Amino acid sequence: MEKFAKAFPSKPLKNTAGKPWALAGVVGSGNLEVLVERGSRPSDAMECHIETSIPGYKASWLAALADFAHHYPAGGTKVTINDQGAPPVLVTLRLRQAYDHLTKGEK
Amino acid sequence: MGTAEIAVRRRNKSERLGRVGRLAQGKFVSSKNVPDLLKRIIEPGDILCLEGDNQKQADFLANQLASLDRKDLHDIHLVMSCITLPAHIQLFKKGMIRQVDFCYAGPQGTAVADLVKAKKFPVGAIHTYNELYARYYIDLTPRVALIAAAKADRKGNLFLAANTEETPAIVEPTAFSDGIVFAQVNEIVDKLPRIDIPADQVDFVVEAPYPMHLQALFTRDPAAITDVQILMAMVALRGIYEKYEVQSLNHGVGFNTAAIELLLPTYGERLGLKGKICKYWMVNPLPTMIPAIESGWIERVFSVGGEVGMERYTAARSDVFSTGRDGSFHSNRAMGQLAGHYAVDMFIGASLQIDVNLPGRKLVVQLVETFQAGRVPTFVEELDAQDPSIKKALHGVAPVMIYGDDVTHIVTEEGIANVGACRSIAERQAAIRAVAGYTPVGLKRKKRETEELRRRGIVQLPEDVGVRPSEATRSLLATQDIKGLVRWSQGLYDPPAQFVDW
Amino acid sequence: MTGTSLFHEQTARQRIAAVVDAGSFVELLPPPERLTSPYLAQLGIPVSFDDGIVIGKAKIGGKKLYIAAQVGQFVGGAVGEIHGAKLTGLFKAAARDRVPCALVIESGGVRLHEGSAGEIAITETMRAIFECRAKKVPTIAVIGSDIGAYGGIGILSTCCDFRVMTEHGRLGISGPIVIEKWMGKKAYDSSNRALVWKTSGGKTKYLLGDADALVHDDAGAVREAIGKLLAKSSPVTLKNAKARQAALAKRLKRFGKTENPDDVWKGMGVRDIAAASLASGPEFVALAKTGRK
Repeated sequence: MEKFAKAFPSKPLKNTAGKPWALAGVVGSGNLEVLVERGSRPSDAMECHIETSIPGYKASWLAALADFAHHYPAGGTKVTINDQGAPPVLVTLRLRQAYDHLTKGEK
Repeated sequence: MGTAEIAVRRRNKSERLGRVGRLAQGKFVSSKNVPDLLKRIIEPGDILCLEGDNQKQADFLANQLASLDRKDLHDIHLVMSCITLPAHIQLFKKGMIRQVDFCYAGPQGTAVADLVKAKKFPVGAIHTYNELYARYYIDLTPRVALIAAAKADRKGNLFLAANTEETPAIVEPTAFSDGIVFAQVNEIVDKLPRIDIPADQVDFVVEAPYPMHLQALFTRDPAAITDVQILMAMVALRGIYEKYEVQSLNHGVGFNTAAIELLLPTYGERLGLKGKICKYWMVNPLPTMIPAIESGWIERVFSVGGEVGMERYTAARSDVFSTGRDGSFHSNRAMGQLAGHYAVDMFIGASLQIDVNLPGRKLVVQLVETFQAGRVPTFVEELDAQDPSIKKALHGVAPVMIYGDDVTHIVTEEGIANVGACRSIAERQAAIRAVAGYTPVGLKRKKRETEELRRRGIVQLPEDVGVRPSEATRSLLATQDIKGLVRWSQGLYDPPAQFVDW
Repeated sequence: MTGTSLFHEQTARQRIAAVVDAGSFVELLPPPERLTSPYLAQLGIPVSFDDGIVIGKAKIGGKKLYIAAQVGQFVGGAVGEIHGAKLTGLFKAAARDRVPCALVIESGGVRLHEGSAGEIAITETMRAIFECRAKKVPTIAVIGSDIGAYGGIGILSTCCDFRVMTEHGRLGISGPIVIEKWMGKKAYDSSNRALVWKTSGGKTKYLLGDADALVHDDAGAVREAIGKLLAKSSPVTLKNAKARQAALAKRLKRFGKTENPDDVWKGMGVRDIAAASLASGPEFVALAKTGRK
């Protein structure tokens, strides 16, 4: 297991009210779960905590998360990931799904 | 001089046939006499062809050959498509082979690598299928060819059934150069459904004690298609198939292309593409094509080989597939490869690795995920095939399947790189990096370069071709499992047992 | 024909969302609580925020129920300490509040890494299920995934009033690989998928009366089946237990020596085996109607 945390610059989340959290994905072989939680106050950073079963890919993780934080206003959110060897594309996909659930309310 | 040489060759053949004596009754050999017969018809120094590509194998004859001793069989110049069976490896281990020219090693890849290391693999050249078949007509004409057929009649005519594969490409050059053609068949019958190889081109026939090795190699279970593959398929459909209005195509046989096939009746239909794209195909009769065929997308399919379980379906859809007078499926590897090379708008498939130093107008599309199983990056600075130790062992031949020059587009889950439109090597590298995702190659991309290439349309992200990644889910597939394919086929598809859970 | 979401491919959360009234699900001990397994963490195995089971309250057709769904992808849906405590607690709440409880199963039984806790949790849950049944509070097990219901969870499912299955679901105690290991490949070839599903799959279980409903592999169909059973309960009486025992003895006598599962199907009145093999849910039920009375 490898654990790391980092905050990435990101524009503040547009709506401060709404669902407090959203989760996408499951922890299973080649998969991961992403929990996105809304912070209590606006911020210009997306805070990320990662636990992965496959060590040695920190650079890929950080690049994928930085790109996400750059493309979407996610400032003030806390992202927590439990990973069991998902490919980076799935990281982005699940993040986007969780983010959509959080910001669009339904599902 | 010329006539004298031919006379020599012809005389030599009749000498060999003369040595056979009572081991054969006419053309027919009993299976127990095969090893002795092989000793008498093969001479040291012969070019020997053993039929076997990735699906169909003359495995009984290969096993008999491998059972011989080095004193009976040596200095053989082996020519064959695929080194697939343990028996093939035995020939090398026993030191019978002086040289081998082949296409690829398939399931014996590791064993071949061991032979290379042990200096027991005297490779001449590594070819594509058609390069090798072409050489059978020119300088690698077999003196003896050991082939496989489904059935023979009492005259020695052969029926090849669905898996014609490479049999004609081996038999013709051999038979028309005074070579010896020896066929193993599953069954000898009074009347054949149709004649694929005339008895005139066949010297010996043996009814093998077990049916020839035949694998359902290209059956892709829709249940194993991932959302990521569906995303890539959507990007390819919009950014390549739709954009270039691809009419005729040489389709790959992986899960990525299976996803495309299963999206045609759903996503493709929604985009209004039916009748506009994907009408003519060069591909094996893949079960995953059934929904598109049943929905009226596909006009014609020609195949290099068959696929186990598709016999009744292809016979019932003879308006789409190539079929014989008997109504059953027909294929031809050499002609299919030619068709797939010259007669199509696009080749699309996946190779294991793509070289970032692509030096380089038909569409040649590589469809690959940025990472393979176990997080192995698909994009590398230098191919394993260019590894000096591999090159050295193979006398400087790098086993590259597709050269960068030939590739026009690379599609990954990150987007499309139109490498064919790049103005320089540097630009091409930047385009590849832009779609190489988070692999070490991809991490070296520069945002500004990517944006510039995107502006010029050389790099297209999913959103640039109108694809929303969140839409990419398995529910888009025309069916999600093998049973669904059987239902689509109206019960005509008979999947092999390993795919059946009902 | 267009593709749809299949129940057996959905995640636990997707299943619950698709089965209950829209927006009615309130999750208990949701992911932000971060109740993860300390044992898996110690062993260097990835943990999950819900420890492999999602629990909460919801409504189907306006009627209240408690509902849980196991996450088969996470260590095979196996029951560990936290997973087990959530499961037990939910059925206890159902008994206390007299609200029906449905469990969407996807589990091979006890999680080996925390075996004792898992065993205890499963037996405590069985006790809570019988408490529900004594109070005539309906308990429903839904078995509709390839992982199925095995081991302790297989037994637990048979403690519930009713079992709803799909053709993908499997029900048993020992899994196919375990049976093969003990009895030999000749007796039971676990790689023969058709054999495995024909012996432990939803269709056979329905024919034999172990499943009360066989539905399409679709959340809507599962929802409808649960909805119909919410108002019913199957009392635990000595008479019922004896009748069940007699039925099982009869089944053993009739099919105990049968080697080919198709013979069981035929014995239960399925005439066209090929058509029935391809049929799903109610189509199969219609084809099998004659045999299962």
